[in-house]
Amino acid sequence: MSRLLHPAAVAALAVAAALIVGLLLAGLAGADPLTTVSALVEGMLGTPYAIGESLNGVAVLMLVAAGFVIAYRAGLVNVGGEGQLCAGGIAATAIGTGLPAGTPAFVALPAVLVAAAAAGFAWAAVPAALRAWRGTSEIITTLLLNFVGLALVTLMVHEEGLLRQPVTSSETLPQSAPLVEGAHLPELGLSRSPATVGIVVAVVALVAVGILLRHTGTGLRLTALGHAPEAAARLGVPVARTRFLALGGAGAFAGVAGGMLVATAPYVLAEGFTSGYGFSGLVVGLLARGSMTALAAVAVLLGFLVSGGINLQLVAGVPATTVSIVESLIILFIAGSAAWAARRRAALRAPAPRPAATQAETVGAER
Amino acid sequence: MGALLELQGLGKRYGAVDALHDVTLSVSAGTVHCVLGENGAGKSTLCNLVNGGVRATTGSMAVREEAYTPGSPADALRRGVAMVHQHFSLIPTMTVQQNLQLVRRTGLRERLDRIADEFGLTVDTGRRVADLPVGARQKVEIVKALVPDPDLVLLDEPTGVLDVAEIDALIGTCQAIAGSGRAVVLVTHKLGEVSRVADAATVLRHGTVVGGGRLSEVPVPRLLSLMLGRDAAEIDADTAGAVGLTPAPRARFVPSASPSVPETTLTARNVPPASPSDPGTTPTARNVPSASPSDPATTLTARNVPSVPPADPATTLTARNVRSGASDASGPTTGPALSVRGLAVHHTDGTAALDAADLDLRAGEITGIAGVEGNGQSELVRVLSGALRPSAGSVRLGDADITSATPAVRTRLGLGVVPEDRHHEAMVGELSVAENLFLGDLARFRRRGLVQRAAMDAAATRVIEEYAIRAAGPRAEMRSLSGGNQQKVVLARELAIDGLSVLVAAQPTRGLDVGAVASVLARLREAADRGVAVLVVSSEVGELLTVCDRILVSYRGRLLGPVDAADPTAADRVGSLMTGTAA
Repeated sequence: MSRLLHPAAVAALAVAAALIVGLLLAGLAGADPLTTVSALVEGMLGTPYAIGESLNGVAVLMLVAAGFVIAYRAGLVNVGGEGQLCAGGIAATAIGTGLPAGTPAFVALPAVLVAAAAAGFAWAAVPAALRAWRGTSEIITTLLLNFVGLALVTLMVHEEGLLRQPVTSSETLPQSAPLVEGAHLPELGLSRSPATVGIVVAVVALVAVGILLRHTGTGLRLTALGHAPEAAARLGVPVARTRFLALGGAGAFAGVAGGMLVATAPYVLAEGFTSGYGFSGLVVGLLARGSMTALAAVAVLLGFLVSGGINLQLVAGVPATTVSIVESLIILFIAGSAAWAARRRAALRAPAPRPAATQAETVGAER
Repeated sequence: MGALLELQGLGKRYGAVDALHDVTLSVSAGTVHCVLGENGAGKSTLCNLVNGGVRATTGSMAVREEAYTPGSPADALRRGVAMVHQHFSLIPTMTVQQNLQLVRRTGLRERLDRIADEFGLTVDTGRRVADLPVGARQKVEIVKALVPDPDLVLLDEPTGVLDVAEIDALIGTCQAIAGSGRAVVLVTHKLGEVSRVADAATVLRHGTVVGGGRLSEVPVPRLLSLMLGRDAAEIDADTAGAVGLTPAPRARFVPSASPSVPETTLTARNVPPASPSDPGTTPTARNVPSASPSDPATTLTARNVPSVPPADPATTLTARNVRSGASDASGPTTGPALSVRGLAVHHTDGTAALDAADLDLRAGEITGIAGVEGNGQSELVRVLSGALRPSAGSVRLGDADITSATPAVRTRLGLGVVPEDRHHEAMVGELSVAENLFLGDLARFRRRGLVQRAAMDAAATRVIEEYAIRAAGPRAEMRSLSGGNQQKVVLARELAIDGLSVLVAAQPTRGLDVGAVASVLARLREAADRGVAVLVVSSEVGELLTVCDRILVSYRGRLLGPVDAADPTAADRVGSLMTGTAA
């Protein structure tokens, strides 16, 4: 019983249950389970190309999730990944298309990514400041800013005065001009694989965040703030500033991820370039529950699932949204079962109920 | 004359804790019956039992001589028992009318008219509850309880938030309700009000009935001593043992009461500090002289000459110099270590939690603040710790004005605080003991940007040993410790502040067992002896009398007193100030 209640076991069961529901849905869409599974696996791992695409997605998820975890440590929930990805993407495009054509990579690439990080930070800074100094719920404000961000991308790629590529015919797509050569994320150089150094950047970022949270004073202060803000204040943690920086930092990570998205083939900013990575990153961060290893594992799982979902549609005729449904179900199941498991564990540990503040007082007086 | 409500051997256990046991009382129709007791005496549990909020573990209840086992407040109401809660249960964004309609939909108008006729209670039904002053809200609460036409009205601490005129009105209402043949049970700790309204009273102490009767037979001073538990004859040995420290002042202040008591007291107090590393002997030593005058020297140094830097003047000077060095280079100060002037704090509804409070703390002296909870002492501590901004007044720490300083600045200037709400304000339960000890002082363990866990654990292990903290180790989660050990961690941390000049401890012994209480008090005394100005806020008067040099009483947002703790009548004076019966 108690082994079944281990968080990892709970997560695995939730994922399995969600996958089964996904298969049933695919079945309703008219695909037999075998075709569905093989199409999914093919899309995830079938070709070097598929693996490379998946890895690029994994990198983006990891970055968004790593940022999410920082803010979450401080007790803040960043639902604004999408908007921050958009801000990062727009800034990266602005810099990446504005640089002279011959700019060397060692100048262009950092410039693009730093701009993306700064834009992501600035985008998150609005809700962060409202939360830190005005107490406005960051869940609401970050969420709403997603729609602003997505709309801003649409505006950017439709207006020639902004970031739209020069319109030469009625066929010209509403997207930006490609980034200059130097701003392209280098590929890892695996044959027929589009995998970029993004995954390396993401893994380094994960390790750095892991060290920050576990082995530095900043990490301790964030944790204290997340668990007991009053006690943290008493112990000298600058509460408002820490909250601001934590949420802003989450935005910066998502911003870099957005910059990486436009710095990967086809190197343009277009509507829908975020592909829901902002929300998926949140899922990864939530499911990882503070463990960087778990974060990497969940990011790989979801990243590959998302890529596989595209093949699902192409080959088996199952809507790719089925994968989104599975993703959502995983959250629901994990959240639900985690709450259930916590209650079970509490019940196993202490059979006696522990209610009422009056009781605590009574204890005080009795002893 | 039949009893309207009868409780027979009623008890309630929460886990291993007896919140209430063997309570027997009888409320007659047409009377106002007061249930008296200090915080934690079991008053609220009793209310909840009668009101159907919780089920009794033992005993039985009867309403009009029929068995009564309410499963819910609604059930209680059907049997004619209504309750007015201590914390308002009205919905602030709705009008009075709408709130009352939640209780009764049809014929409300007529019913309100009848209530107005019968009890002289009128409410402005059109106004939003949020716009009403507290007194008016209280009135709506009472009207709400009366709407279903109950036989018995329970009022749980109704006067806590009211001003004098409002209390007069409330007392009038109680009398009117009783006069109509119903009964009122008034649960309170304010004796002053009891003497004006009650026909009978029952005193609860530590969950059980310690006395009571018709007010014509039991005078108010008797009720007071019952309530504060200073009369040895009324308390059985178990209770006395559980109280731990309260027998000590009793021994001191009523030495003639019973010759056997000092014996018991000393034993009880000497047991916990038996371990050699635990300096709990200090308060014992300080009490012995007052019980048996064989060693007056200790008393003189530590208590009777409080303004002279005691024990070790060198330490005092050092502490002082560090503090003034940090704040201002104008040399050593001679004024109070901490001074509060005209402090006011207002709740959002405009009522004053603190009203023009003044306070001076002097080096080497322990000042106590007694008072029934909710009289502003919590707010005072929160202002001192920097968790709450006062609406007026100033706080000075030595030479520095810290009225609006951040907690970090206060700590740097040498102010330590043991907050009242240990779990929210004093510690982070999910972090380890070591992390809780050193979170505010991480720079000590930082090398190349990383926290050196091994060094931190080693330092924590030393503290754990020094303070005899029972923990699985420096990495044990703070929440896995018992309350007493958690408190020792908090205290150890605050006492270790560099240049500590003032220590504020709010309810430092709440929820602790006898041994932990003694150890915590000993640490406070030790801090004072090395020149720290100590402020102890506690609702345990006996404890304050034991450890403090002088005691102030917080009453309705003001600080009354001071009472010299060495004065033989101190307990009585504190008691009457607390309960509002002082002349």
